[in-house]
Amino acid sequence: MHELSLAQNLLDQLLDLAKEHHAVRINRVSVTLGPFSGVVRDSFEFGFNALKQSLEIARGAELELETPDPVYLCLDCGKVSVIPFSLPSDRLELAMTSPFPKKCPWCCLNRLSPKGGTELILNQVEME
Amino acid sequence: MCDTCGCQLHDHHHHDAKVVEVNRSLLEANQKQAQSNRGHIEQMGALAINLISSPGSGKTTLLERTIEALKDTVRIGVIEGDIETERDADRIRAKGVPAVQLTTGGACHLDAPMVHGGLHVLEHFAKGGGYDLIFIENVGNLVCPATFDLGEHRRVVLLSTPEGSDKPAKYPATFRSADLVLLTKTDLLPYFDFSVEEAVKEAQMLKPGLEILSLSATTGEGFEQWIDYLKNMLKK
Repeated sequence: MHELSLAQNLLDQLLDLAKEHHAVRINRVSVTLGPFSGVVRDSFEFGFNALKQSLEIARGAELELETPDPVYLCLDCGKVSVIPFSLPSDRLELAMTSPFPKKCPWCCLNRLSPKGGTELILNQVEME
Repeated sequence: MCDTCGCQLHDHHHHDAKVVEVNRSLLEANQKQAQSNRGHIEQMGALAINLISSPGSGKTTLLERTIEALKDTVRIGVIEGDIETERDADRIRAKGVPAVQLTTGGACHLDAPMVHGGLHVLEHFAKGGGYDLIFIENVGNLVCPATFDLGEHRRVVLLSTPEGSDKPAKYPATFRSADLVLLTKTDLLPYFDFSVEEAVKEAQMLKPGLEILSLSATTGEGFEQWIDYLKNMLKK
């Protein structure tokens, strides 16, 4: 539920930036949501698109979300691996039967510790 | 055709569009306020603890017992966060320490601007006496509060035995952000399928080296370690 307040924070930042750059319209906004940020992509997108309607300047703004894959440190072998949350759709069946928790691709043990990934960043804004 | 003026040029209104590189956190405004809160708290001569857990894990009861144990030697102030009611603040006031109730009216977490307001009210209630330790009891929620720095010096996450030992694995963001985890209601261990070993293992997998203490506010078992933790924190 905090996605809505984060989307509001983003719109506040956008208004400040538009003022600073004397822009009348915001066309495109690029944001990175870290895989361990605790923010749900769909809810954030929904919140942003609902809230932007009340702002003339941001009404047409297209939100581009980057969601990098999660990175884990294996506490057994010490190797760092990128392990996506979900498998490509053609392997969905496999994903549903694959045992949880996920395993280190190097040593096959499962003591994986999340590394970084808590970032919530406004990268870029296109305005005119 | 251009939508703005109806001319035939495809998108000439975009010619003066510019791309601005920002690279700033979405939480920037909250972080700035949190930093200023931390300064404000230190200026008051105090340290602050942000208490996070699901509803009913025993945050307020922990505070009641902590106040009983420390109130003669440590000046305590409490900021209570809830969606509704003054009940928690009333319980704290009954123990004889100042408490400010913040009711969010629906919001699922406290943020730094709310706490800023709470600190000013708390300061007013100090009557010149000041504080050594300020507890900020967050809204009962194991998800949203994790994202918001309030200006605390330590973040303490509670996990009560009836909730189950799988909670650190299921709510990683919150447990990863903790400085200390308290396993509470340990007097109920015989009645619930709670594995202390699993909870500790999972929490320390998320954050290697994370400090974890077990206690029961009812029987007092393990409470001394928590009090020592606070005393050590205040000494530094």
